[in-house]
Amino acid sequence: MTTKTKETIFFVALGVPTVICLLAFFWVLYLLSSGIGTLNWTLLTTSALKGGIFEMIVGTIYLLLGAAGVAGPIGVLAAVYLVEYAPSGRITRIIDQAINNLAGVPSIVIGLFGYTFFSRQLGLGVSLAAGWLTLSLMMLPIVIRGTEEALKMVPPSFKEAALALGTTKWRAISATSIPAAAPGIVTSVILGIARVAGETAAILFTSCVLITRGLPKSPFEPVMALAYNLFVQIVALGEPAQRVFGTALVLFLIVASFAIVAIILRTYYRRRQPWLR
Amino acid sequence: MAKVDIKELNVWFKENHVLKDVSLAIKEHAVTAVMGPSGCGKTTLIRAINRMNEIIGGSRTSGAVYLDGKNVYDEDTNVYELRRKVGMVFQKPNPFPKSIFENVAFGPKIHKIANGKKLDEIVEESLRGGALWDEVKDRLNDSAFSLSGGQQQRLCIARALAVEPEVILMDEPCSALDPAATAKIEALIRELSEKYTVIIVTHNLQQAARVSDFTAFMYMGKLVEYGDTTSVFENPKSELTEKYITGKFG
Repeated sequence: MTTKTKETIFFVALGVPTVICLLAFFWVLYLLSSGIGTLNWTLLTTSALKGGIFEMIVGTIYLLLGAAGVAGPIGVLAAVYLVEYAPSGRITRIIDQAINNLAGVPSIVIGLFGYTFFSRQLGLGVSLAAGWLTLSLMMLPIVIRGTEEALKMVPPSFKEAALALGTTKWRAISATSIPAAAPGIVTSVILGIARVAGETAAILFTSCVLITRGLPKSPFEPVMALAYNLFVQIVALGEPAQRVFGTALVLFLIVASFAIVAIILRTYYRRRQPWLR
Repeated sequence: MAKVDIKELNVWFKENHVLKDVSLAIKEHAVTAVMGPSGCGKTTLIRAINRMNEIIGGSRTSGAVYLDGKNVYDEDTNVYELRRKVGMVFQKPNPFPKSIFENVAFGPKIHKIANGKKLDEIVEESLRGGALWDEVKDRLNDSAFSLSGGQQQRLCIARALAVEPEVILMDEPCSALDPAATAKIEALIRELSEKYTVIIVTHNLQQAARVSDFTAFMYMGKLVEYGDTTSVFENPKSELTEKYITGKFG
């Protein structure tokens, strides 16, 4: 085989998957864009009781922010412990592996766990709070890994300088390493949100209902969400898929906007943090 | 009495025996240079004085380091207070990603030495001490990274001065700097020795000769020779020192 033939084979072998990805992307884009027609300001601001999707949008955002509120602090503290304090050994390796495995657990299994543990065992029932806790399980690995990466990027010389001035280890970490890693930490939380924004299985049994009277008044009430609504409309109510494209588009835009915010933050801070260049 | 008196100091990193029975008495208000080829243990030696070797896992120390007659390795030593008294300047300038002011104010805040107006005074005084005040007085709120390498290193010196130390350790403070910046730091080191006890690690022989009053020469974890700088350079007792100074190895 001549070099030229080899070159052609590789070109095709590498090019075809790229083209497949692009086609899939444009197909999704095409489907979503067909939702634009059904989308209008009234739909977004009208109550579900009158055929709008207002409570679903707000409910989705409630779920995401609450889950971030749970997974953010726990994930960040866990990452700080793992990077700065955990002795390298068997137990740390096991914890490390467990985090990887948590990231790989199918969301329906997480949903089932959330239902049996948070909803039934802890008695939270079908509620926002149960949804927060269940979704936070899916966010945790992303927040932990992202924060770990961000902390490892901070030059050790900052912490060393603080220690040499006579600070305690925690003070050195909290006053130098964590602020320097903050942009990366925030980015990882936002990426965690983006990861679960479209999540259905995890909230299926734990926090969603098809219709509520207005927004939940406390964390212990059930909530409406876009992803859940899509699922029910198509599977349970047997609506033709085209009728929910508008809802799907809104959900897509919410997910995409979180991801875009994360990218903008990362680019902005990379410019301001010379050690990342 | 010596300001810092090192007695039969041994340091291991895991299985690696880095310092071997080093004894060295360092005089107050003088500049002592520690020189020797790479890997001879000179950095480990000065980091043993403020117990910075401990922050690396797997280090072990035996022997004693007396600071004003008190062994810093005693169990009742407050290591945070020790590191306040024994300041350190690193090989590469390592300012915090904060403003110039905040860099210098960091230590005094941590040790609750001052706040408000008094803190402003300490920052100014420290920056003057680091020979940087005139260059930065109009832009104290700028990021420390906006300074040149030499200015950053002087900022790091000012930051160390702000917690009112007695001893200042410098680990090859000029190795990342150009000759002009190096000259400024060297002049500063001479000035500092009026108020502080300065111990500087260098593998630059000319630098040791220019700035120091006393010179220690180390090789393979052992102290080979120690004396006043003039006699070590002009009249070395050890053949090894002679060879190193004349550039036959190193």
